[in-house]
Amino acid sequence: MNQTAPAMRMSAAGTPPRLSGFANWADRNFKWLLVAPAVLLILALSIYPLVFSLVVSFINYDFQVPGHAFVGLQNFERVVFDPVARWSLLLTAILSGVSVGIEFVLGLAVALAMVKSFPGRGVVMSILIVPLFISPVIVGQAWTLLLQRPFGPTNYILGALLGQDVTIGWLTESPWLYISLIIADVWQWTPFMFVILLAGLTSIPSNLYEAAELDGVGAWQTFWAITVPHLAPMMLLALTFRLLDAIRMFDTIFIMTGGGPGTSTYTASYYLYTVGFTQFHLSQATAGSWLFLIFTALVVTLLVRRLLKVEAS
Amino acid sequence: MNDRERRDFQAGLEAEVDAFMRGETTRRTFITKFGQMTGMLAASGPILGMMTDWALAQQKLELADPSSPLGQAQAAALKASSEGPAEGSAFRAIEAAKQYSGVTVNMTSEAGLQALDPRNFSGPMLEQLTGIKTNVVELSWPDLYSKAVAEHIAGSGAYDVLDIAPMWTPSLADGGVIQPLDDYIAKYMNADDLNDYHPLYKALPTYKGKVWGLFDDGDIFAVYYRKDIFEDPKLVEAYQAKFNAKLGPPKTWEEYTQVAQFITDQLAPNVYGAGHFRKAGSPGNQFDFLQQFRANGGKLFDDDMKAALASDAGITTLKNMIAANAASIPGNNELDAVSLWAAFLTGKVAMMYSWPPTGRMAANYSQSATAINFIPQSQVAGKIGYAVVPGNPEHATGFSKALAADSANPEAAFLTMQWMTSPPVSLARVMLPYALRDPYRLSHFRSDLYGGLFPSAHEYLVNLNNSANIGLLDPIMPGAQDYFLSLDRMCTAVWAGADPKASLETAAREFDETTERLGVDSQRAFYAEFLKLPGSTADNTVEKLGLAVTL
Repeated sequence: MNQTAPAMRMSAAGTPPRLSGFANWADRNFKWLLVAPAVLLILALSIYPLVFSLVVSFINYDFQVPGHAFVGLQNFERVVFDPVARWSLLLTAILSGVSVGIEFVLGLAVALAMVKSFPGRGVVMSILIVPLFISPVIVGQAWTLLLQRPFGPTNYILGALLGQDVTIGWLTESPWLYISLIIADVWQWTPFMFVILLAGLTSIPSNLYEAAELDGVGAWQTFWAITVPHLAPMMLLALTFRLLDAIRMFDTIFIMTGGGPGTSTYTASYYLYTVGFTQFHLSQATAGSWLFLIFTALVVTLLVRRLLKVEAS
Repeated sequence: MNDRERRDFQAGLEAEVDAFMRGETTRRTFITKFGQMTGMLAASGPILGMMTDWALAQQKLELADPSSPLGQAQAAALKASSEGPAEGSAFRAIEAAKQYSGVTVNMTSEAGLQALDPRNFSGPMLEQLTGIKTNVVELSWPDLYSKAVAEHIAGSGAYDVLDIAPMWTPSLADGGVIQPLDDYIAKYMNADDLNDYHPLYKALPTYKGKVWGLFDDGDIFAVYYRKDIFEDPKLVEAYQAKFNAKLGPPKTWEEYTQVAQFITDQLAPNVYGAGHFRKAGSPGNQFDFLQQFRANGGKLFDDDMKAALASDAGITTLKNMIAANAASIPGNNELDAVSLWAAFLTGKVAMMYSWPPTGRMAANYSQSATAINFIPQSQVAGKIGYAVVPGNPEHATGFSKALAADSANPEAAFLTMQWMTSPPVSLARVMLPYALRDPYRLSHFRSDLYGGLFPSAHEYLVNLNNSANIGLLDPIMPGAQDYFLSLDRMCTAVWAGADPKASLETAAREFDETTERLGVDSQRAFYAEFLKLPGSTADNTVEKLGLAVTL
């Protein structure tokens, strides 16, 4: 390397300005300065609240009880021994499991139907994915308007079709209220499954299907032997993403049933919201959130492990 | 520096200098521009603040047609504030508040319709009269409590005037979130104006012998019914034949159900006898249960502060309510307050009980404001009669204006509260078509201007006054929202078919858990304070205390 070249260039440009103490320091630690804003942002927006919430779950932080005394595990005990909390967790598992299951089957069916080109496919696909872009609150309100008696048209239409009076309490009577919540969720989120599974289907090499066709393999066998194995990673990915979202189900319940009747439609999120923001027992709600996070983490770990295993195979 | 480090340094320097010569971004220019950007961000705060102040200054005082009753009430409020009488609370507040010209009073308000009054009427008028600016912070109903507490814990001094539900008064007072008003009242308020409150509302903000707020919203339940149906000769005759009684507004809950069922039997599916707000989470069930339970002789707590819900009164109340549901419009259990209004205004329901805006909506007065056009036009205007709720009507929440303990301008804040709740100004405020604030002063009930708002407004006011005479207050004590939630869950579970007795026991267990969480002894003390208030029990109403007001 010619060591005189830079010196010549420098001399041509004049003497470089002398760096101050701070500039020297900044120069040495430039890489840290670059990442510092991002790190600070993460610390402020993510780590600090997380640590603070952990602290809150071990103290009294209740807008009705003055003081912040250390209470040990009392907040966790209150959640664990609250029958409403246990029910809400069970209901969360049932509702999210059933909803996601139906969404998966429907999404896969629609994706299989849409994988081959046909006239108007683009328009149909656009219409199919519209629910994805609607806020869950609006979805809940729309379904409430459709189902709520005495104004909603659902019972009237069913009555006209069946030729007899239909008086179903879609939002207040069991099991109809659960069915209503699942219908609303399925309506909104089936397109999510459809989009992901369609992407997976289109990535399966077509020569595999051609080979199967030449070998005279039937449609059902082709589906199980070619489509399912190749689509499995995408299936698991779609199920994982959707399940993680579904277990946080809140908006539609808040709008459609208000958690009722009684506590029959309390999901974990709705329970935590009620304890924290209706009753102002913030430390109990925070402790509940941590417990819920642990349950969620278990599910996530299982699903991700399975996902990685499938991808590896 | 060894050779390798020197080479690396020079190579870096070379690249740096070359980039500098070419005018490209170097680390130095990056740091310089980053610093400039950070500085701009820091400066943007004050700039945005100035823009916000400018935007707030654009708030315009909205006045009604001067010839209308509302316009006249607004003119009277302006005159009383600027010209007197000199001893009036409005005038005294304005005169004293002028020294705070330029000060901004931050006040919380329930988001939506409730905030329109301070934004469009009282806030701009106060600024016009005193130079005090008002900053209305709109919050959801639960946040009116939680944000006030959170800001107090943070010591931010973010709020000066708090809109609070009276049931929160003890918690906020003991928690140091609000401050007593006695000294300010003695200094600035006309005692006659304090006595102008209906007796049910006058003592309501009192706790442990001190005044912690100025009451500002008379939320008493009343019955609204279709006179054309109740006076229909054929129906009157049929009712007489069936029950050997005159068809009219019911006096007992059993009669209420009987009348509702009779009208449903006669007129359904065109009109149903009654409708109720029964949807879970929509405020209604707890208030309805409380008013009937206490009218039936029920007590919330026994002497040991154990919940006394699972009693004969509780069973009777729930059974009556179930029977009323069955006699009501299909989908009754799915209605909230707004959808019940829709059912009533469109003529599908013959009788309902609810908050006072019902009367103004039924007369099509409220709907003259575009802000409230989500409520359908009334198809029953001119056909509405008013009656007192059977037994004892519930005063369901209401609002008080409280003075934040952390206010940087407590005197300016108090004077703002005094002025807003003074007789002439509060009259103009409760007459606003979009207002959800309801009459609470004797001068409101007696006002000819209010009485001119719609043809039957005088009858409406008399009924509200009569309802307050025997009205019952919601429990004013810590944990009230927990107790209410338990009642709402209990009721909606029963509507869905749960056993009333078992549901009462579940609610009682939840009551006890709440009491234990908050401390049995302290809750007993709070409850004892509450029982001192007129309207705390059916045996302690304004009327039974000999304080009833006759108009």
